[in-house]
Amino acid sequence: MASLQDRAKLFPSSPVGAAWRLCWPILVALGLGVLMQLVVRPSIDAYSSTQILNIGIAIILAVSLTIVNGFTGQFSIGHAGFLAVGGYVAGSIAYYGSFALFGSGGAKLGLLSGLYGAPAGAPLLSTGDLLFFGSLLAGGLIAALLGVAVGLPSLRLKGDYLAIVTLGFGEIVRVLIQQTPQVLMSKEAIEESPAWKVPFSVGGSLGFGNVPKYTSHFWVYGAVVLTLIFAYRLKQSSTGRALLSIREDEIAAEAMGVRTTYYKVWGFVFAAFFAGIAGGLYAHTLGIALSPNDAGFQKSFDIIIMVVLGGLGSISGAAIAAAIVTYLPELLRTPATLEKFAIAGVPLLVVGLALYAMAGPARSDAEKKSGRDRRALPRFLIGLSVIIIGLSVLAFAARRFSINLGEYRLIIYALALIVMMITRPQGLLGVRELWDGALYRPIRDFFAPRVGLKGGA
Amino acid sequence: MTAFSHASMKDSAEVLAGVGAGGDPLIVTDVSKSFGGLKAVQNFRLNLPPRGLYGLIGPNGAGKTTCFNLLTGVYKPDQGQVAIGSRSLVGLRPNQIAAAGLARTFQNIRLFGELSVVENVKLACHLRTTHSMAGAVLRSAWQRAEEAAIRERALALLQVFGLLDRKDESARNLPYGDQRRLEIARALATGPKVLLLDEPAAGMNPQEKKDLRKLIREVREVFGVSILLIEHDMGVVMDLCERITVLDYGVVIAEGTPGEIQKNPKVIEAYLGKE
Repeated sequence: MASLQDRAKLFPSSPVGAAWRLCWPILVALGLGVLMQLVVRPSIDAYSSTQILNIGIAIILAVSLTIVNGFTGQFSIGHAGFLAVGGYVAGSIAYYGSFALFGSGGAKLGLLSGLYGAPAGAPLLSTGDLLFFGSLLAGGLIAALLGVAVGLPSLRLKGDYLAIVTLGFGEIVRVLIQQTPQVLMSKEAIEESPAWKVPFSVGGSLGFGNVPKYTSHFWVYGAVVLTLIFAYRLKQSSTGRALLSIREDEIAAEAMGVRTTYYKVWGFVFAAFFAGIAGGLYAHTLGIALSPNDAGFQKSFDIIIMVVLGGLGSISGAAIAAAIVTYLPELLRTPATLEKFAIAGVPLLVVGLALYAMAGPARSDAEKKSGRDRRALPRFLIGLSVIIIGLSVLAFAARRFSINLGEYRLIIYALALIVMMITRPQGLLGVRELWDGALYRPIRDFFAPRVGLKGGA
Repeated sequence: MTAFSHASMKDSAEVLAGVGAGGDPLIVTDVSKSFGGLKAVQNFRLNLPPRGLYGLIGPNGAGKTTCFNLLTGVYKPDQGQVAIGSRSLVGLRPNQIAAAGLARTFQNIRLFGELSVVENVKLACHLRTTHSMAGAVLRSAWQRAEEAAIRERALALLQVFGLLDRKDESARNLPYGDQRRLEIARALATGPKVLLLDEPAAGMNPQEKKDLRKLIREVREVFGVSILLIEHDMGVVMDLCERITVLDYGVVIAEGTPGEIQKNPKVIEAYLGKE
């Protein structure tokens, strides 16, 4: 019976390899984090560096939602609830923890913390950094606990009904946060307040802007790397296949021995944990004041848009879409940059049309059989150039009639989603990943031999 | 393309040893199920010995698939016993029943369409794995070893079923006959004692049906599983099955060898009506 294990024992396994697989993600996370913080950030302007930070946080959020919406196919539209919970928990711990440790609510930055870097002479790792790191983990864990609470109803509910429950969860979090007492601004105020009330004094509807500002490119991109590697390893494992099988066909999955209820809840827990971490990073960002609206459905929809645009179930697709969706509104705010894009768009369009002409007639029978599409690459190029030119025309028109495109970002989102759902309902990458050769495949197909395609038997 | 290659089955024997683990009979006694006032199945009984190849037939709506759903835990029987050997299956979840050694295919194919062919089979090995979720994320040595064993088993099964060259295609893009074969391969990957096939020949052409008969027989020989199949194609049923149970309106109206069934007046009446 235990033949799978008997066979498994025949495969060599070394403890050194296992230790390496444990360590390299951490090393890569540290490496990229240090690179981003000490090399990339100082060399770009403050505005761009904020954008890059926001993109990093958005990537963590989108990838975390991919685990529940994309892998297990449980449509959750309350993801911002986890973000807010993680943010408020981490913020409260760091703020009131700072009072307990340092006597004030300010940040004690280490060398790698802070959006604009640490003051001269900062230690490599300060006590404040450790407090920040601990508060991030705590925020993630509390969010994960709530993930269990939200995951449990998903055992009985499907589709729309589950979506409504998760929507309700986000709104409950939002309303609860609104009811919290105001932030205690001084040591005296904290001492006067009842002890149990202190951690919940996070500002209610006024927001919680006093969180010490530790978040830096180091922390964000370290977390991005770990989130991506986690999601990748999860997807490429037996556990990940179990999650995906639930999305594909729950009845068949159960008949094949998958504990569907167990894995559905775990899907929510993983997603909630990383959303909580993202929330913690967001809360500690310079210039951000947490507010109850961060738990609202609008924020949830922003994340869903990223996941759907990227392709449900695609980690890399979600990450790319997160970057685009975060950057696009900023781009719309600076039409001058956008107009320059037309210069790149026009030659791209010419090349695309030329290749389209070269690709010959619509798919032949042999092509259909081989599953290859010679027109995929030209179509991609034409589509891309049309988007770029369209955006620049839009920017030009906006400038001409002095309209602030940034204010219309939701309309542009909605239009982009509609166009996307009509022309490419599976999203940017579908269920594929960049590392599956999703970009390379159309290029290979274009240059595939014309007649006698392989595999036509 | 031959559906099934015996030579490759021998090659893979070492890998596939113990994939199917027969040895226990499937015993069903007096299982009944009602939906409201409708008595879908009444007093269904069956004794499927190890390595047996039995059939379950009956006119449309007779309750055959309901029987499968009762055996595999999709529905809970109102009364009666289902057991593999001495292990009772009543009240278990479908995934627990799969773990106990009962695997099935579906009348309307239920593959994991977006997953690749090999991933479909790999998934079915999931319930035989022992590594933890933490092991999966940290890539522990044992997880890697089990993952390698899963891959090996999945590829060996695909080779046996002649699907190896399509292993990376999405399951939904396979031709119909291949999808049916993949479903059987996937069911076998769970390491069953008993295999339930729900209309495996549905929608197949005569040549595919011929290949299928050979395939089912060889699956039984090589994997040592017992097989219960629902089938409308009498050619397939009469040729393959050692014993046949006939259902009509949820009641077992006959049980016996193909020869006996063909002569049974009750069966003839159920299919053709009274003279």
